[in-house]
Order: sequence, then C-alpha cells, then structure tokens
Amino acid sequence: MPLIPELNVDEVIITTMARQLKGEVLVSSVTAFGSLSAHLAKRLYAPDLAVLSTPESGMDVTPMPTLTLGQFLTDVQQGIPLTMEDIFDAIFTDHFRIWINPSQIDQYGNTNITCIGDWHQPKVALVGARGIPEDTSHLSETFYYVLSHSPRSIVATVDFRSGAGNGVSRDSLGPHGAPSVLVTDLGVFDFSGPGGSMALKSLHPGVTIEEVQSRSGFLVHVPTGDMPATDLPTDEDIRVIRDADPLEVRKLELMSGPTAAEKFVNIYERERQTLHATYPRVGKMGR
Amino acid sequence: MDKRMTIDEVIDRIPNGGTVAIGGSSISRKPMALIRALARSDKRNLTAIVDVGGPDVDLLLGTGRLAEVIYAFVGFEVLGLAPHFRRARQTQAIRFQEWTEYTVMAGLDATIKRIPFMPTHATLGTDVLAVSRVFREMRDPFDDKPIVAVPALKPDVSLIHVNYADRQGNGVILGDGHVDVLCAKAAKETFMSCERILSNEELQRFGRDVQILRVYSKGVVEVPWGAHPTGCAPDYRTDLRHLEDYLKAASSEEGWRQYEAEFVSVEQPQYLKNHGGAEELVSRLRV
Repeated sequence: MPLIPELNVDEVIITTMARQLKGEVLVSSVTAFGSLSAHLAKRLYAPDLAVLSTPESGMDVTPMPTLTLGQFLTDVQQGIPLTMEDIFDAIFTDHFRIWINPSQIDQYGNTNITCIGDWHQPKVALVGARGIPEDTSHLSETFYYVLSHSPRSIVATVDFRSGAGNGVSRDSLGPHGAPSVLVTDLGVFDFSGPGGSMALKSLHPGVTIEEVQSRSGFLVHVPTGDMPATDLPTDEDIRVIRDADPLEVRKLELMSGPTAAEKFVNIYERERQTLHATYPRVGKMGR
Repeated sequence: MDKRMTIDEVIDRIPNGGTVAIGGSSISRKPMALIRALARSDKRNLTAIVDVGGPDVDLLLGTGRLAEVIYAFVGFEVLGLAPHFRRARQTQAIRFQEWTEYTVMAGLDATIKRIPFMPTHATLGTDVLAVSRVFREMRDPFDDKPIVAVPALKPDVSLIHVNYADRQGNGVILGDGHVDVLCAKAAKETFMSCERILSNEELQRFGRDVQILRVYSKGVVEVPWGAHPTGCAPDYRTDLRHLEDYLKAASSEEGWRQYEAEFVSVEQPQYLKNHGGAEELVSRLRV
C-alpha cells in the first residue's frame, strides 16, 4: 500500500484492528499485530479491555512484542497469572477476543492453518488447528487479519476448515463463532454478502476495487454506492503503537528473506536489554 | 518417600508401544533432556500426545521413536514449521490425529474424571471433526442438538519439566502452566525433571505455584537446563539460535546426522559442554 509516504501499512492495519475491540473482555496478544491492537484499543478506545501478555500467560499486562520474553513480561509487570482453563473458560463464556492470522480464509470466512492440499496427503503440512475451532464455535465476534492479500491467502474455498465460517459450516452450529471482520493490506471486509459471504467495507488509501478483485481468489461482494475509505490512524494512534513496540517486532511479520533474518537476529540480541530498560525487575525473577 | 531418579531410570519406565503425554508448549518449558534421552533410546512404536508441540515431537519423529502423534499444533512459532513433523505428515510416514487445544485438555480431563468422553461444541463445522476419526458427533440427550464426544486420552506416562521440585515429587511452575497439571493427573505414571531440587520447607513457600502435587508424580530428576533449547521462565529464555541450527540441520541427512551426534546421542553434561558450557548459556539466555 503506497502513496502517503509517512503512512505505514502496519500502522493502518493495527489501528483498524484496535477500533474493532470493545467492552470488558480478555484480549489475546499472540502476535505482534494482535498485541499492539489490543494495547492501542485499551489506551484510546476501550479502557475496560483486559489485555493479555504475549503469549497468554498473564492478564492486565502492557504488551511489548518480543521473540522470547512473553512470560518474562508477565513476571516483571506482576500481571495476573492465567491458566489454560482460564483462557478456554473465557472463550466458552464469550469473554474473550482474538485477532486470528490464518494462512487461508475463504469467501464464507472458513479459515485454514492446518495444511495445503488434502489433509490425508498434504502438499504442505502447516501447524494444526490449535484453538481456532473453539473460537469459531463460541465467540460472538471473530476477527481475522491477513497481511498479504493474494489469491493464495484469500481463496474461494479453504483446503481444510480449521475454523468454521458461514454457510454449510453453520448447519450444526448456532450463530456464535461466525466470522465478523477481516482486515488485509488492501481494505476492510465483513461477511454481509449473499449467504454470509465476504463483502468489501472500506478501501485503504490508494487501493481500488479492481485491485481487490484481482488479488482475491473469488469475486468479492461489493455493495452498491460509494465505497468508503478506511479511517486512518491519528498521530496519537501512531505514537502509541511506536512507543509500545520499540524493537519493531511488528515489521518482522511484513518481511521475508535476508532482511527479515537480519532484523530477527537484531531483535533477539537486543530484547533483554530493552525489557530491562522499560521495566525494573519486580516479579519472581527478582527473588 | 524419596522419588529422585536418573534420566535413564525414567526412560526405562516407558513401555514399547506406550502412550506418552508431554507437557510444555511449543518452544516453552518442554522436558527436552528427557525427550533427548527417549530419542536416543531403543523405545519403539510410541504414541505422543501434545496439546501444543514443537521441538519435542519433532525430535522424536526425526529419531524414529513414534508410530502416532495426537496434537492440536506442532510448530516452532516465530521460527516457522517443524521440519520432521512436516515431512512425516506429507509422506504419511506414521499415523496422525489432529485434535484442538481444548479437546486435548478435555480428553485428559475425561481420564482424570474416569469418564469415557467429554462433550463439547468445539470442532462442529470444521474439518477436524471429519479427519479425527475418534471424535463422535452425537445428539445432546436433553435438547437433541448436535454435540461432539471427545474420547478420553489415556497416557501411560507423562513427561514434564518444572522450575523446582522437592524429593517427594511436588513441583513448582513459575511461568505459564500450559497443560502440565492435566498431563500429570491423567497419566498412569508422571515423571518430572526440574531445574533444581529444593527442600520441602523451601518448596512450600511458593504457595499456589506448587502446581504438581506429589500424589501424581512417580519420579523426579534434577536436570539444570532440562528444558533447553526451549525456554523455562523465569530461569532462561528460548534458545532461538540453537533452534535455527536445528532447522538447518534437519534440512539435510548429513546435517541431521551431525546434529544427532553432537546434541542427541550425548548425555546432559556433554550436551551442555557442546554449547560451550553453562556459563555461555547463562550469558545468552538468562533474562
């Protein structure tokens, strides 16, 4: 996404994600984008959110994306420790929100992180469904983000349904767990199209409807009338994001190849120092 | 009762063809010293149960110990996919059952509660239900709506790693507990490695952090750096450099043979020496 030089796509996506969060719920911080959107939402839009550490070892923690220090972050901030039962009970009782980053999402919001090709003879075995089936059968809102909108990630039909979308996937499920919102590097989508299919809601700056269609694996539903532009981050949004991610871990999710490898090593070497500079040792580590 | 044992005595208790549940989560607090000993043993046809697996499952696959894996996820998180898991899935080398994070917990919990299955709505509307042939979609006997029966998971042995233990087999977990308590309670026999053995008086000062109760444990082994290369908060972080070397080694037969010779075929003291000794690990991994 080009055009306004000082506008970074990561900050547009994170701000859009943050503005979806509301109420008093646990918010997962599994990825840098997830944790920064939770943090930004709590700071500026939804003060009652209970933000989790990265990964989910503690509640009411100020997230700081790192590669290895999630549990240390909980410790130095004396966050409220959580068990796996706490996490899944919050999912089942709908007191939990998460931004899921699937490998594939289809026109009905089914999601895949399990495999490319047939499950029994996969072309590529990915990681496994993890907790997505629980989210897509219980939460009243489910949120997705994809950083590289392409016919490989935005597909007509997923190769494997790790998570349940709309359509036939709902036959044996109630409405809970149905897909709510998808944010990509091109725009914002919901599932208000025919039969609960994906529909375009807004375009990021400089993106056209034609570009969305040519980079999707199916024809995305476009409502009639003028297509709004995505609301952009304010200066304050951008400041909060940058302050919360001094190591710029969020940039890693947008990189690949040698640049990513170099950034990765750099973050890994610096992250302990950054943690200590930001938080004094007060937890069990201090014993 | 003094339950201290050696690593080899623990491995002797694992039956050929048996089922082994492994605690920890992906690259966090895996009982890797025990797993390495199992990997270099002559044990055969084991079934591994993991909620969130990583280098544990991958190493056991790479050394040919497993006939089946029951998992919700197997991966190296920020470092990407698990190489031997991916290869074994794609070549259908052994049997796999894809479960989900909660259903693995529920299957262990069913065994703890001595009931044959646990009911849940998770996996409805997903392909996990289709490929995990052991799950049964049934009718809720009260309102006749669809529900899934998750069968009890019955580990013969559970292997976990904790921060501290006493010689009676109580265990302290200071970071995220993951599913270790469920593993410990569900298995016929649970064996635990720990960073340090403390006196019972010292251990009791940890209050609620004493998560593993001695009635559930059969043996305890003191193994400093026993989770390495995974992390063990707050004692040390994940060794991403070692895991990167592991991934590189696993990409060729020659590389893998070298890795096995240097890091799998050796006992724990030599393993630490091959990393330049404990002081070197302290400087790279203490937080």
